[in-house]
Amino acid sequence: MMLRQIIAVTSIGLRSLPQRLWESLVIVVGTGCVAGVLLSMLSIMEGMYQAGARAGDPRNAVVLQKNILFENSSNIPRSAASIIANAPGIARARDGSPISDASMIVFVPAQLRKNGTQAAMTLRSFGDKGAMLRQGFHMVAGRMFQPGKHELIAGAMANSQFAGVGLGDKVILPDGEWPIVGIFTTGGLLDGALVGDTGTLMPAVRHKSFNSVLVRLASSAAFATFRNALATNPSLSVDVMRMPDWITRGNADFNAYFRAVVYGVAAILGLGALFGCFNSMYTAVESRGREIATLRALGYSGLPIALSVLLEGAVLSVAGALIGAAIAWALYDGVMSGFGSDVFFLTVTPPMVAIGIAWGIALALLGGLVPSLQAARWTVSDALRAK
Amino acid sequence: MKYFPLIWAALCRKPVRTIFTFLSVTAAFTLFGLMIGLGATMDLVQQRAHPDRVWVLPRFDFNGMPVTMGRQIAKLPGVKHASIMTYLQGYVGDLKNRSGAIMLDDEYGRIFSDWPPTPAQWDMVRHDRRAIIMSRRLATQFHKKVGDTFTLISETVRADGGKAWDFKVAAIAEEMPENSGGYIIGNYDYYDKALPLADQSKMNEIDLQVSDPAQAAAIAQRIEKMFANSGYPVRATPENVIAASNFGGVDISAITRKIALAGLGMILFLTASVIAKSVRERLAEFATLKTLGFSDTGVVGLVMAEAALPCLAGALFGTSIAAVLVQILPGILPPNFALPTPTLSPAVLGWALISACGVALASTGLPILRLRRLDIAAALSGRT
Repeated sequence: MMLRQIIAVTSIGLRSLPQRLWESLVIVVGTGCVAGVLLSMLSIMEGMYQAGARAGDPRNAVVLQKNILFENSSNIPRSAASIIANAPGIARARDGSPISDASMIVFVPAQLRKNGTQAAMTLRSFGDKGAMLRQGFHMVAGRMFQPGKHELIAGAMANSQFAGVGLGDKVILPDGEWPIVGIFTTGGLLDGALVGDTGTLMPAVRHKSFNSVLVRLASSAAFATFRNALATNPSLSVDVMRMPDWITRGNADFNAYFRAVVYGVAAILGLGALFGCFNSMYTAVESRGREIATLRALGYSGLPIALSVLLEGAVLSVAGALIGAAIAWALYDGVMSGFGSDVFFLTVTPPMVAIGIAWGIALALLGGLVPSLQAARWTVSDALRAK
Repeated sequence: MKYFPLIWAALCRKPVRTIFTFLSVTAAFTLFGLMIGLGATMDLVQQRAHPDRVWVLPRFDFNGMPVTMGRQIAKLPGVKHASIMTYLQGYVGDLKNRSGAIMLDDEYGRIFSDWPPTPAQWDMVRHDRRAIIMSRRLATQFHKKVGDTFTLISETVRADGGKAWDFKVAAIAEEMPENSGGYIIGNYDYYDKALPLADQSKMNEIDLQVSDPAQAAAIAQRIEKMFANSGYPVRATPENVIAASNFGGVDISAITRKIALAGLGMILFLTASVIAKSVRERLAEFATLKTLGFSDTGVVGLVMAEAALPCLAGALFGTSIAAVLVQILPGILPPNFALPTPTLSPAVLGWALISACGVALASTGLPILRLRRLDIAAALSGRT
């Protein structure tokens, strides 16, 4: 009975929407703006997160200098690197050698392709196990660098973001010009970087120690063995983390800040949309006064009327949120973007769309609460007198 | 002005509607103020960049460079002052409270005289080796006042084997808008002499001032060439070039403009709907006005004013809220990372008012068309 009343009242309301076109549009546009802005900004975080997640192979663990979270400020001396490589818990290659790669990174001067401003690129080194440790690593053009030669390979996204790092281009390093002999991809953050041979690069850029050691764990349970072996070795002062944990921790500060900014912006905009929703639904209830009074006179109770007002707002706001999400998706999904030396694709995912819809519904419910209660409380005589 | 009671009466006819329109517009302009203000800061940083300053950083690495390089650069023709600096990174009390100090030599304050510390405050750091200048935000965060001891625990080990670096808070200075995360300035000599002998006389950055800004790029190039084949290749860049590439190449101004526009678009629909509704409800009233001899322009003016008033008030109020938020926000947002603080300059308020007028104008378009074509007789008899 109640349900039939709700359906009946809501359908009457929805059918009269065209008469209240502008008020309805206010709700659609308001929630659309909120969802659109929210999703556009979240697409940056999601893009970075996904690129990081693809680099964060859960089978790998990373070793860094103790209490240092960022690779470029971490130092792992050569002596420590060989102790780490021989620690228990590391998977073995077919020849019996441990799958471990001590490597260095430096930032090299670069130029942004889009506006020519100064930037920096990551230059990372690979040892003989470097490629094996990177999930999905394969060459897409040219060939792999040869150890011992002054050669580099570039990530698939590097040349679109930075100028002059395509196949055949030369990169100026301390020991002269290093040609780019191949293009690789991993699908992760490394795709914006340059890669060279550890043994050749380190002396060239005068690096005396490594920045980090990456190892493939023998099994997931082997992590504890590996970590304990390093922690109990008095000659080492290092931290061990599973690769995904490290990436999460490394981005934690940035993510916390950025999330606060994104949701703060969305909240202010949402507040504006909320007042707009309230205004529209208040007007809608007012203009449907006679209709509501008639329904009350026919014996409809207050609740279905209140619910139908809320439902109508929710339908409009979901429509708005979907339009906003569609615009964010069309404008930004898959667009290449960069932050510092990181290159990634902006991404709009279905869960993000769900967040946008949730915001839309929340706005409609909050904005519609008072107007709908008012509609429900109206007595027949009040409503018929109202104009 | 004499029509003001008329406009006021129109706005007060449906007070709820007027108030909520005003609140919605206020929210949109709060965001507008923050966003356009952030863009204004980015522009300001670029405007304030001194073309006569050149920053020299290690080209490939952040390992220390010998301080003698600074002296070599200071001797180049056209270089007025050269200074060196290094960073001391660590944490305060708990690993989560990461912080760091920039350790500067005596010349630094003369080159960066536009920074917030006063000459007297710079002198404190020059004359007392343990002295630091702390920015107000960090002083609040770490509960420090002038005269307190500040201890930074660092991975940089001192000659005595300790990792705790003690400083004395000599002065508290204002924030830099481009660096809302705060800063700590210390004495390079104190830092350097506390290190083990093998680690002494190293630095991370040379900053210099040239006599002729036009020569800055040429001198920067000369410095790069000078050290190209040394053990410490450098990248030398005039400050205005660095300012142009701030924030990892992300065009903050473009993003903030888009967000501000989304807010404006939202309130455009709201005001348009409200004003259309208001005009529709009062057609008879407008017909009466026309009968009384109000010209078309006069009626149009009344409608526009009715739309503009809440918009302008919202713009004014919203930007004021933004100005307050700017003061509070750095304390609320998570630490260790920071965007520049938005600058709520008169220009930002100006843009807000212009945008508010634009919204009011655009939103009255359709109702005005309707009013101009108004059939007075029909409106008065309620037949429209």
